Amino acid sequence: MLIFYLVIIVFPFIWILITSFKQTGEIYGNNPFSIIPDNPTMQHYADVIMEKGIMRAIGNSLIVSGVTTIYIVIVATFAAYAISRFDFRGKNLLLGIVLAVSMFPQMIVIGPIYNLFIDLGWTNSYWITLPYSSITLPMAVWILVTHFNQIPLALEESARIDGASAFQTLYKIVFPLAAPGVFTVAIITFITAWNEFVLAITINSNSEYHTVPVAISFLRTQFEILWGQVAAATILVTIPTLVIVLLFQRQIVNGLTQGGVKE
Amino acid sequence: MRKMGFREFLFIVPILLLIGIFSLWPVLQSFTYSFFDFQLNDRTKSGLYLNERFNVDLYKETSLYVDRFISQDMETITDEEDKASAQEVIDQLNNLDKEFENEDGVITISSEQKEQIEAAYENADATVQTLADNYELQQEENLPLLVEDIKNSMIESNFIGLQGYKRALQDHFVLDALQHTLVFTFASVALELVLGLGMAMVMNQGIRGKGFIRTTSLIPWAIPTAVAALMWSYLYDGSAGVVAEIFSNIGLLDEPTDLMQTGAGAMTAAILADVWKTTPYMAILLLAGLQNIPSSLYEASSIDGANRVQDFFRITLPLLKPSILVALLFRTLDAFRIFDLIYVLTGGGPGGSTETLSVYSYKVMFGQTNFGYGSVVVMIMFVCVAIISTIYVKFLGTNIMDRN
Repeated sequence: MLIFYLVIIVFPFIWILITSFKQTGEIYGNNPFSIIPDNPTMQHYADVIMEKGIMRAIGNSLIVSGVTTIYIVIVATFAAYAISRFDFRGKNLLLGIVLAVSMFPQMIVIGPIYNLFIDLGWTNSYWITLPYSSITLPMAVWILVTHFNQIPLALEESARIDGASAFQTLYKIVFPLAAPGVFTVAIITFITAWNEFVLAITINSNSEYHTVPVAISFLRTQFEILWGQVAAATILVTIPTLVIVLLFQRQIVNGLTQGGVKE
Repeated sequence: MRKMGFREFLFIVPILLLIGIFSLWPVLQSFTYSFFDFQLNDRTKSGLYLNERFNVDLYKETSLYVDRFISQDMETITDEEDKASAQEVIDQLNNLDKEFENEDGVITISSEQKEQIEAAYENADATVQTLADNYELQQEENLPLLVEDIKNSMIESNFIGLQGYKRALQDHFVLDALQHTLVFTFASVALELVLGLGMAMVMNQGIRGKGFIRTTSLIPWAIPTAVAALMWSYLYDGSAGVVAEIFSNIGLLDEPTDLMQTGAGAMTAAILADVWKTTPYMAILLLAGLQNIPSSLYEASSIDGANRVQDFFRITLPLLKPSILVALLFRTLDAFRIFDLIYVLTGGGPGGSTETLSVYSYKVMFGQTNFGYGSVVVMIMFVCVAIISTIYVKFLGTNIMDRN
């Protein structure tokens, strides 16, 4: 049963890997289902790297996801700390709004954001990282609030008695203790931003600024899908994700189950 | 818990700004759009205009020429009655000129002024028509066009109130999209729950290689949906796709091409791709819930002589209920909002048979640049999402916010 499950999960990737080395004629030819390519070729990889600029897309994705991760982690850490440690009016309202934002359809923000970006002249730029907050921030805040709640207050109180300010307490005591949670949030935020599609395809329509999901979706035309190139590009763009998953699977699973939020 | 002072308040300023500008403001704005006939490709509708507006500059120029052209023909007009009505048109236009003497550019006008301008236009239109029929006018061709410009100087409000909603509720595209969305959501979430629960139970049994399985399970979750969709569109392809070939070999399909070229086939394909992508995620969420169930409960039940089926229904399911409901809530919302998978895999086709609400609203907004109507569809989605959340939160018993 487990073997069967693993085969189903892994099979598509294996097949894509095989296809990426097949010559175009062989992909469409008489025997498209052979497991071993007759004449293995690296041509598709060369094509997507040289002609289709897949490396630029990966670069764009790294920039966009990296910037999003950095500012979301900072903003969410501050907010989650305040929510976890202080009493203020409208706290439940803030938490409710954060939860609601994680629930509403992304389509609802896209029209106004598009018009705003047109007015500001921000289309086709890296400003797109700002509206990414709408899909990443709620999850980050929820995971971090859970983490902060688990850190005993006594530690902070003694720091405060020793004369530390709120910011110092956060920076010197709480932050190191919450580091695993912050790290988890960073990884999940990065992957969410890496996978984002609607905002990227709408706002950064110029191929100079295409991110990975958008660039890949443009490898097909209406009449013909370049399967060989699609396969090679899929393999290339999956590598960064694979590395992250392999290195940090424990943190990712912790984050997913604690936040319990979103795919 | 301490009271928040001003300095601590600064901690939440950034999140308030970000959520305010990039989440709440757009929602309110979309809500506003939905009451307007707001279309970017139509110059007179490319903004939100609550009032009638009047292009004073255009009107002044127009009235000047109409006045001049009619005056030129005054001698040609022989009948006294016609002369009088021509003079009336000129007077009317001059009156309006005086009224807007101190204005320029585009201004908002009152409904009285609107009626006045409309009356002037209608009178001018009718008179010019009669004159052209009876006499040989010098500007016979240009005059009607100029008169038309009087009307064009007035820009109608594109506020339509609830008209958009009325239209949407009768629009078969919207109703079809809603139906496709519900079918997709129900089928994929149900499959994911059953498969994910089974998977989680197996993984919970302390088998070897658990870490490896967990890692492998994360891969589909971490792959961009658009990439996964394109990958599956290759596997589903009628002539080169291995999955389509397998399906037809085991008798699920008559022809491999049926999968993507029939409505039912494409919907099934989309559902299966979604199940592939998110079942492992569901399994991981449920596994966390399973691990929180104390094993002493199972020991106690085995002493009482319960079998595994009884264990499952009497212990596992009741204790897992909160985890299941949270996982279901988020999976249902995700499936209901589905966009990239379907947009890349089928594009909503064939023949709109896989068009979901997200895909339809996106096409209306960015394909037809009709933001007003697209926002109406989005607001309908919003209401559905609110209903789904309410139902789940009710079932969850406690407030979902307390689960931490």
